[in-house]
Amino acid sequence: MQSNAALEYDYSVAKLFTYTTILFGFLGMLIGTLIAAQLAFPELNYLLGEYGTFSRLRPMHTNIVIFGFTLSGIWATFYYVGQRVLKVSMAESKFLMFMGKFHFWLYFVGALLAVITLELGMTQGKEYAVFEWPIDIVIVIIWVSWGISIFGLIGIRREKTLYISLWYYIACFLGIAMLYLFNNMSVPTYFATENLGSFMHSVSMYSGTNDALVQWWYGHNAVAFGFTVPIVAMVYYFLPKESGQAIYSYKLSLLSFWGLMFVYLWAGSHHLIWSTVPDWMQTMGSVFSVVLILPSWGSAINMLLTMKGEWNQLTDNPLIKFMVLASTFYMLSTLEGPIQAIKSVNAIAHFTDWIPGHVHDGVLGWVVFMIMAALFHMAPRMFKREIYSKSLMEKQFWLQTTAVVLYFTSMWIAGITQGMMWRAVDEYGNLMYSFIDTVAVLHPYYVIRALAGVMYLVGFIMFAYNMVKTMTASKELAQEPQFRSPMA
Amino acid sequence: MELRELQGYASFFMTIFLVVMLYGYIIHLYRSEKKGENDYERFGNIALDDEISSDPVVPNPKAQKENEEQNK
Amino acid sequence: MFHWLEKNPFFFAVGVFVVIAFAGLIEILPNFAEASRPVTGLKPYSVLELAGKEVYKKDNCIACHSQLIRPFKSETDRYGQVSLSGEYAYDRPFLWGSKRTGPDLHRVGNYRTTDWHENHMWDPKSVVPQSIMPAYKHMFTNLADIETAYAEASTVKAVFNTPYGPEIDGTKAGWEKYKPTVLEEAKKIAADMKNKDVKDAVARGEVPEIVAMIAYLNRLK
Repeated sequence: MQSNAALEYDYSVAKLFTYTTILFGFLGMLIGTLIAAQLAFPELNYLLGEYGTFSRLRPMHTNIVIFGFTLSGIWATFYYVGQRVLKVSMAESKFLMFMGKFHFWLYFVGALLAVITLELGMTQGKEYAVFEWPIDIVIVIIWVSWGISIFGLIGIRREKTLYISLWYYIACFLGIAMLYLFNNMSVPTYFATENLGSFMHSVSMYSGTNDALVQWWYGHNAVAFGFTVPIVAMVYYFLPKESGQAIYSYKLSLLSFWGLMFVYLWAGSHHLIWSTVPDWMQTMGSVFSVVLILPSWGSAINMLLTMKGEWNQLTDNPLIKFMVLASTFYMLSTLEGPIQAIKSVNAIAHFTDWIPGHVHDGVLGWVVFMIMAALFHMAPRMFKREIYSKSLMEKQFWLQTTAVVLYFTSMWIAGITQGMMWRAVDEYGNLMYSFIDTVAVLHPYYVIRALAGVMYLVGFIMFAYNMVKTMTASKELAQEPQFRSPMA
Repeated sequence: MELRELQGYASFFMTIFLVVMLYGYIIHLYRSEKKGENDYERFGNIALDDEISSDPVVPNPKAQKENEEQNK
Repeated sequence: MFHWLEKNPFFFAVGVFVVIAFAGLIEILPNFAEASRPVTGLKPYSVLELAGKEVYKKDNCIACHSQLIRPFKSETDRYGQVSLSGEYAYDRPFLWGSKRTGPDLHRVGNYRTTDWHENHMWDPKSVVPQSIMPAYKHMFTNLADIETAYAEASTVKAVFNTPYGPEIDGTKAGWEKYKPTVLEEAKKIAADMKNKDVKDAVARGEVPEIVAMIAYLNRLK
């Protein structure tokens, strides 16, 4: 092992993605807060003319959070965790170093293009799959370069066994690749004709009900493979590493992996309950959504039990707090989702604010918390300095936790209220409320939600500040910490 | 209609096959541990002991060969 | 027997892929041919309506409006007849939406007029005082991209056999010949409008976004 004495893990790519995670997280949440406020105070729609309406900004918000913040977070952690669990440094291969950097810079350029075209209103019109075909092609290249990095790193590994986190990263890579390709199949009109009209425009290969099926097969599972699978990968690495406790049951983690892979894909049609897709498909979506509780909770319980006998860390290490809360929110939203997929509940919940409520307790409580915790854990190792402020971290934790609770409770009430009002009839069977009545009644909940957004955003700014200070001004470390991250 | 029938059978048997595989895997996990062939829980240490200089839980023979070559 | 799966990244990846691809095949394939059949008498969108659909997509109306009437009495009372699969046969992409911050629009053409839409898009509060929808004044000045709409019609005709007439052929000459038909249709809409700038633009041979948009909304029945 002598030749390895000077060898170190190379975090340059992980660092780059860390910066974009913070940048896109801030942007995405800023826009999110703005559009939440627009629903409460519609005058805010006119800040940027044509480019500042709720409708134009909403895809900006979702796409920056999904493809900006979350993907950056996934890649920042992958380029960190991947090396460590395979016990191989990127510095050992010039090719992998190049691929990593190429991956990042192409991603950065692609993200800029995506933001610009979205603001200009160039869209395929499918939620979460809005980018037109030239950008899709860039995305495919970005994705392939990630794949090369994953399998390249695996190819030169010293640790033969692939740690469970890597299973999840690989599943994320394969799942999104398949879903994205099939959902974005389209024909560019410019090339199908004598170069008529816009170069960017294309029409979907699927129409109507088929398009809906493919789209929600994609939409639901993009959540699965983008918001669940890679985040589970993070917990399985960062929680044991930070707490110094091995995963409670490694076998259970393997089983819930296959369970999740098998069940998740079937549940997509629960987005189309009571629509024109065939009945059996709706029922199947509904049933599999409920079955999905099993593997999800299998993972979640495994995460929580990892802390067995060490629960005192929860009180004195804020990082553990972030991760345990994230796992708890994971349990909450994986229970809430199946409830919404039950046909009778769906009849009320669908199209209402309960759905964004569900999305946000998952994303704010689970995804963002876990990614922030992961970056906090990585910072002292990457920058060789201790975390700048523990007390700021504590304050951020409580502020954001309150924000998430305010967010989902207000949206639960708003959603159920509106769902009930839409169907309310008087004694003669006539509808009791006009549509606008059911909008006006939501005003207080929209105000609370906007407030929750502001609180969460402030929390994220505290996180960003803490990270920047850690990178630049914190006390330097002589030696890499083994488990618990040092903080001032 | 024939295609749909075929798909119906395919889906039925595939589901059964996958369920059998999953249960087979569970049995495999526990049995190989009981027989002492493999201790799955030791893989949990991959995350805990992950310095580049620490010994792999299961060394990759290919990488080892390269190492030896380097050390010659 | 499972060691190869755990140790070999290639077989592992194949295993994951088979397990996740399986659900997609079963869910999506069986229904494909059936669901794409149009209801009888369904006409494809006119070029102007397609241009309007592009405006609908561009300003992302789908963020707040659905186009799917579910089979409940409360919905059919409010919005009209239940939506049928075959009615969407020419919708590429489908625009069902997933959130009703505003009302459903699948049959909005049955109960709203050109005049109503004009007032509403200019200032929603003028017709619905409590509305939280933003005004879309820029639709009155921005021009709709009717050439791209023609290209789209030609593409779906050529690739998916959508039943358009021989005048939709995807050639430059075909478009020059067809353009007056689109303008004629736009004039009919503009005749029911009162905004002077829009009327002038249409008289000049231009199609503001609002005209295409209203053509599309009126078509939703």
